[in-house]
This record gives sequence, structure tokens and C-alpha cells, in this order.
Amino acid sequence: MALTVGVLALQGGFAEHLSCLRKAAAHLEVKFNMVEVRTPEQLATCHALVIPGGESTTLSLLATQSGLLGPLRDFVKVKRKPTWGTCAGLIMLSEEASSAKRGGQELIGGLDVRVHRNHFGRQKESFVTDLNLAFLAESLTDAMRAPPFPCVFIRAPVVDKLLADNVEETSPENGADFQSLPSPATNNQTLAQGSKIEVLGILLGRHASNKAAAAAETARSVSTKGDGDIVALRQGNVFGTSFHPELTEDIRIHLWWLEQVVHASMK
Amino acid sequence: MTHNESQASLAAPATSNGTGSKASFTVKAGLAQMLKGGVIMDVTDASQARIAEEAGACAVMALERVPADIRAEGGVARMSDPGMIKGIQEAVTIPVMAKARIGHFVECQILEALGVDYIDESEVLTPADDAYHVEKSNFEVPFVCGCRNLPEALRRIAEGAAMIRTKGEAGTGDVVEAVKHMRQVNHDIARAKVALQEGGDLAIRALAREFECDAALLKQTAEMGRLPVVNFAAGGVATPADAALMMQLGCDGVFVGSGIFKSGDAAKRAKAIVRATTHFRDANVLAECSEGLGEAMVGISVNSMRPEQKMSGRGW
Repeated sequence: MALTVGVLALQGGFAEHLSCLRKAAAHLEVKFNMVEVRTPEQLATCHALVIPGGESTTLSLLATQSGLLGPLRDFVKVKRKPTWGTCAGLIMLSEEASSAKRGGQELIGGLDVRVHRNHFGRQKESFVTDLNLAFLAESLTDAMRAPPFPCVFIRAPVVDKLLADNVEETSPENGADFQSLPSPATNNQTLAQGSKIEVLGILLGRHASNKAAAAAETARSVSTKGDGDIVALRQGNVFGTSFHPELTEDIRIHLWWLEQVVHASMK
Repeated sequence: MTHNESQASLAAPATSNGTGSKASFTVKAGLAQMLKGGVIMDVTDASQARIAEEAGACAVMALERVPADIRAEGGVARMSDPGMIKGIQEAVTIPVMAKARIGHFVECQILEALGVDYIDESEVLTPADDAYHVEKSNFEVPFVCGCRNLPEALRRIAEGAAMIRTKGEAGTGDVVEAVKHMRQVNHDIARAKVALQEGGDLAIRALAREFECDAALLKQTAEMGRLPVVNFAAGGVATPADAALMMQLGCDGVFVGSGIFKSGDAAKRAKAIVRATTHFRDANVLAECSEGLGEAMVGISVNSMRPEQKMSGRGW
């Protein structure tokens, strides 16, 4: 049986994701069917979903208009199907967003985090940088030789606060900067997903002015020292990146995620 | 190569020297890729910008007068007052674009200093240079430029534009010129594909000579079967059906200038055009969102205009 992977095609960089997913799927034995999703009927056919970059305020409004907001929440938080959000998609999959538009914006949720929109500032603060993403080693035989990933940050958000204490220190960049990670769970809170938050990618302080985090008032805010921003994470079936793997020729993250989709489908 | 595959290779592969290349073309073209499938609306103050954001605009274009008013009032049209642009930047969280006159690189420097997210080097304003467009590669801020055909688009891309739009005929509410320009771009791309297939590099060089454009960019276009950067429709889009028409002709998204805030119920029309741009192939949705929108902008038929009244002839 083929697995159907949808890409939410309301607005933004959905064609780029479809192209990367098709290239990645060619490396796997499982058959995939990649589809654009604009309606609840199309969503209902999907085993997994990508929410692309775009403008989160636009995505939110179009999802509501198209009768997709409820079905999307059901897909992510009740059916718990594998879902990956990039940039605006990460915002949509977070339980809270700061620097949202006036009057707030509807989110899908699924990740017990707060994202800070446009964290680095306006377009002229956008950049490309290499990050070592240790989680990619899961799909590579020789992890140590895995080259860094070219991460494209465009008016990007970062996770600036974890809303749950239940955090697993899986694989920060280079396995190095453990100190900047929030401390692991001491008391479990009720989680949206009942799963631990795994921090999968941290951008060290070079680019991150990290004003929001530095000014953060609570101990649970990420990296109060201002030395790192969470840019990739997973909680259960939900995966988020603040950068755009679909704007590169590097399909490793798409391949890794499709493997996760295959694993989830076998459960 | 399918349409989708070519989409993904719009930008050059992201590379990094480890220090972070801030102004790389990937990042400039990438923002345009994130605007695709969206509507960019002309706004003249913070309250209009808020209406646009609430209606689902993926970006706003800040300008002092919409093209219909520039047309009616005449005189020299210039870059907007920085105070007005700042007011709009503070009012919304979506990208804010602004227009500079063709060739006026100092207006561009000022807009970059203000932190606008995209500069439109626009024929809607009065051109400042009749020989040169702005050399856009050296700016950190990305540029969008208008075109009437493929050669013009490729000349702008060679100068550094990271996004293209049709010129159409701004401020008319008449979509005919935007359609003409989009069809011409498609026709030119088809010619380039045939040239590459039948005559290879030699034929591409000959066509580049005829087109007066860069041969390498022309070859890239022929290989991809589309413009190598994102291409929006602009100039005369006034209704949800106009927006969907341009999307079905192959545009990646839509600029709406005077069409929204020169109409009866701006908020409703704005929302309807956003929805029509997403569901551009679904006639049932298009019928739904075309209903009860109130007065469209009155408009001017382009056929009734003298050549010197047209803005699309500015630039080359």
C-alpha cells in the first residue's frame, strides 16, 4: 500500500516541499503518493502532512475560511499523524506564538512551545548558515561524516519558551552546548501530546541577538544566557524546523522525515 | 521536468561558508517563494495595512497614492514618506514592501535603511533614469521588478531582481494588459525551450541576441520551463476572478493595487481575492467568493487610453 503524504497548499512554498519529498521518496522502498491539500476531503486521504513556509497569518485565515482548522487540529492532536512544519508551518504547529498580529492568530498547535515570530528581524536579517544536525545520523550509516546542513532562515521564528517541563536532551548541535538547554523534567505537566519535547537543533548565539529570550522572565525560558535558539524540535508525531530545507538541494531532512512516517505507519 | 521540480530549483542551491551569507540570492529569492500563492496589497496607511493583514494578505506594498490616484492627479510620483512606511511597519507583522522610481538607487538605499522587506523598482512611479535600472545585486534587500515579456524579465534578473511581476496597466482595473504580458512571457519561454531542444547552446545564443538578454539565464529558463524566479501578476487585477485568471495562466501569486481600496467594501473584496488566489482552480469556490462584493473599482478601459497615458511603457 502506498502512503499518502500531503503538503498543505493554501499559500507559501508548498511546491518546493513536494519536489523534495518526491526526490527523497525515490530512495525508499515504500511507495508514496504526494498530494496538495486545500480541502478537508484531501486532508482525509493523508497519512502524514507537511505545513510549508509562507505567511502564518495568511495560512491561519485560509485554513479557517477553507474549513480546515478543525480537521487539521484533529489530524495533528487527536489522530496524531506525522506532521512537519517549516517556518510558518512551525508557528502553526505551536501552542503559542509571540509577536503575533494584533488580535492574535489561530494556530493548530501540537508542540507545547511558544514561538517568537520574525525572531531575527526583517528580511535583511535573513541568512543561510550550516548547522550540524545530529538527528540526521539516524538515517545515515556513518554519522560522524555527515556534513552539516545548509539552513536557510527567512524572517524565521524560533522557539523561545517551552510550555512543558518534559524535555529530552537528544541531540543539540555538535552534542556540545548542553548547558544552554533547559533542564530535564522534574515535574510532569499535562502535555498537549503526552510526549516529551526533543530539541533537535540549536543555533548558537552568533546570529541570535536573542533579545526575546534574554529578556524572558521565567526560568523555563530557553537560553536565558542568550547563547542559543531552538530551531528544530520534535514532540511525538509533530516535527518542526524554523529553517527551510525545501529551499536547498539537500534532501536529507525530507528523507529522515519520510522514514519517520514509515515507522509511524507500521505501529 | 515537471512544474513542481522546476519550482524547487528556483533559487541557487543554498551554500554557506559557515559565517552565514546574509544577502545570498537564496535568501532573497526564498522570501518570494514563501509569498507564492498569496496576495500582496497596495496600502497607503496603517489602517489599510491592518485591513489587508486581517484579510490574509501575504505582504503589503506601502505607497503614498494608489496607482489610480497617481493616474488621476498626475505630477511626479516618488518614493513614499519614510514616516508613512514606518507607521505601516509598526502596524503589521507581514512583510512590508515599498516602491522606488526606476533607476533611483538612492531611494532604494533609503528604503533599505528603513528595513523594508522588498523593494519594487516600479514603473508606477515616475522614472528617475532613462538609461539604467538600479543595479540590484549589491543591495541586501531583495527587489521585484515589472516585465512585459521574457527578455525584459531576464534583464531585470541579470541586474539582481529576485522576483518578477507582470507590469499590466496599473490603476486601470482592466486586467487585459496583465494577461497580455503573462501570455507573452509564456510564449517567449516556449520559444526558448524549442530553441534549446532543436539547436542547443548555439540556438540559445542566437535567441539571446534577438531578446537582448543574458544567454545563461535564457538557457536556465528554457531548461526549467519557467522564469528562474517567482513571477506574480500585477497591473489591473480587480476581482477574485481576475486573480484566479492570472493564477491559471501560470502566475505564482497576485499583486492587487487600486482594486481593493478603490472598491466599495475593501475588507470583503480583499478576503475574497485571497481565497480566490488559493482555490484558483475551484469554480465553485470562485463563484462563492465573487458574490455580493459591492462596487468594484470603476476603472478605465486600456483600449481607450493613449500610449503616453500608459505606465507599462516605462522601463525597457
